[in-house]
Amino acid sequence: MRSAFSKALCLAAGNDPELMFLTGDLGFQVFDEFVSKFGDRYINVGIAEAQMVDMAAGLAKEGFRPVAYSIASFMTARPFEQIRICVSYPDLPVLLVGAGGGYAYSSSGVTHHAGDDLALMSILPGMTVTAPCDPAEIGLLLPQILKLPGPAYMRIGKFGEPEVRAEEPPVLGKARLIARGEKVALVTTGDLAYAALEAVTELRKEGITPSLHHFHTVKPLDTEALGRIAAGAGTIMAVEESSPAGGLGSSIANWLARADHKCRFARLGPPDEFLYGNHSREKVAARYGYDKRGIMDSCRKTWRG
Amino acid sequence: MTIEALEKKAREIRATCVQMACDGNVGHLSSTLSYVDVLVALYYGWLKIFPSDPANPDRDRFILSKGHGCGSLYSVLADLGYFPAARLAEYNREGSSLPCHPCVHALPLMEMSSGSLGHGLGVATGILYGLRRRKSSARAVVLLGDGECNEGSVWESAMVAAAHNLDNLLAVVDYNGIQAVGKSDEIMGHTSLEEKFRSFGWAAVTIDGSDMKSVVAALARFPFEKWKPSAIIAKTKMGVSFMEGDVLWHYRKPSEEERVKALAELKAKPIYGPAK
Repeated sequence: MRSAFSKALCLAAGNDPELMFLTGDLGFQVFDEFVSKFGDRYINVGIAEAQMVDMAAGLAKEGFRPVAYSIASFMTARPFEQIRICVSYPDLPVLLVGAGGGYAYSSSGVTHHAGDDLALMSILPGMTVTAPCDPAEIGLLLPQILKLPGPAYMRIGKFGEPEVRAEEPPVLGKARLIARGEKVALVTTGDLAYAALEAVTELRKEGITPSLHHFHTVKPLDTEALGRIAAGAGTIMAVEESSPAGGLGSSIANWLARADHKCRFARLGPPDEFLYGNHSREKVAARYGYDKRGIMDSCRKTWRG
Repeated sequence: MTIEALEKKAREIRATCVQMACDGNVGHLSSTLSYVDVLVALYYGWLKIFPSDPANPDRDRFILSKGHGCGSLYSVLADLGYFPAARLAEYNREGSSLPCHPCVHALPLMEMSSGSLGHGLGVATGILYGLRRRKSSARAVVLLGDGECNEGSVWESAMVAAAHNLDNLLAVVDYNGIQAVGKSDEIMGHTSLEEKFRSFGWAAVTIDGSDMKSVVAALARFPFEKWKPSAIIAKTKMGVSFMEGDVLWHYRKPSEEERVKALAELKAKPIYGPAK
């Protein structure tokens, strides 16, 4: 996803001379193409995320289109106040990009975990929060995000994420239909869409046919699509690599509690805990039941229940 | 303006701030009064400003990073005609355009909202980086508190400003010696702010920030060195003898007796009439 982001960024910089890229000393070799083409628009502020965000705010105030980049935990939690006071409060068009969001850095330990990135960014008024599912989606969403008049966050993964084949192209702010189905509606965000699609594909062989909807835009929540999904399915099952509080699952639960739907709700994802032990991302997903097998098991139970 | 005229203006602004603290029923007088001489020297002769066209791209950007000291900035802006002086009576009132911490939604001519410390210098680096790309010669002045310099983000920004040779940047530290709960030197170990800025790659001077002549002379030497951002450590006083050096004036407003006493000592009247 990082290579796709770098490529999409170069395209965007070619189209918009006001685009400025800031990094908190991360992305070794990832942005070589950007540096060679747009070196004077590449600012490495050093390992100084607070400075990076305030500087981006200053650039945005002067009419530039800054994109700030770091590892997700250092992009969101560390300079949270800078984002809140200098970007969100004045509603400036700054795009924050968090690489390795969720538990992509699972084996690096708790310091690098960013299960809370979507929650932290979603809590800020006016912030658009996105988590694309694959490299192609980044390329299609980035130009849309860069047209926003206000701030946005984009969670991207690491390298080599597989392609997710969908029924329709991504439109910022709208849920994306990946697979048609019935009774159970799986909703995902980020690169978990791929695990969910694999689960859906295998379940079909058993005659279990849930639908799959991808919410690359976590905020604002596409409640129009949710209304249709809730009307057509008995259960909405959110699959997310996010803290249980403040992520896609809790946003949907919140909405369901207010909406007049009889639809049931379930969430598959990591718990409200620090995940010790430097386990692999796959092992964490398996332990908490949100890998392909876990998704399949939960779908089977719900399908029969 | 002559030094004498600037000194007179500073007394008027101080008198206005004392009145505003009473009308607005708000503290922060120490932080508001201490940098008045610097503020007056900046706005009445040094900064390139366009009061009838506040968003003019050629303007120098003045950023009040220590937002709680906004009373004197509001006074100066009103005095210069950015908005009617009568509006100063609305200071700190509910829904006012002049809240006790500046807000760009309430008063769009402010360069940024402030109130949380340690942001102004970072935002200024972005502004100046952008202005340089636009080939603008506009400058940015950031007014910091000495207490504010406790914030680590100030030093992240100081490093980057020097690394990018932002020599159109002037940081003025209002070194009034007090912060919210004590004396700034005692809290931070009696180390020199001037040396700190120098070691971060800045050109820095320490001056008597309550002596108009010294302030004007220091500003006239800007930029202190080519390719380096400049810092002025301004040792300041509140300018009202019975308030000097007392942390209490971060919190309390003057009584009626104290208000009268302060105005008498300043030999000046507020620039707006009494609140209705």
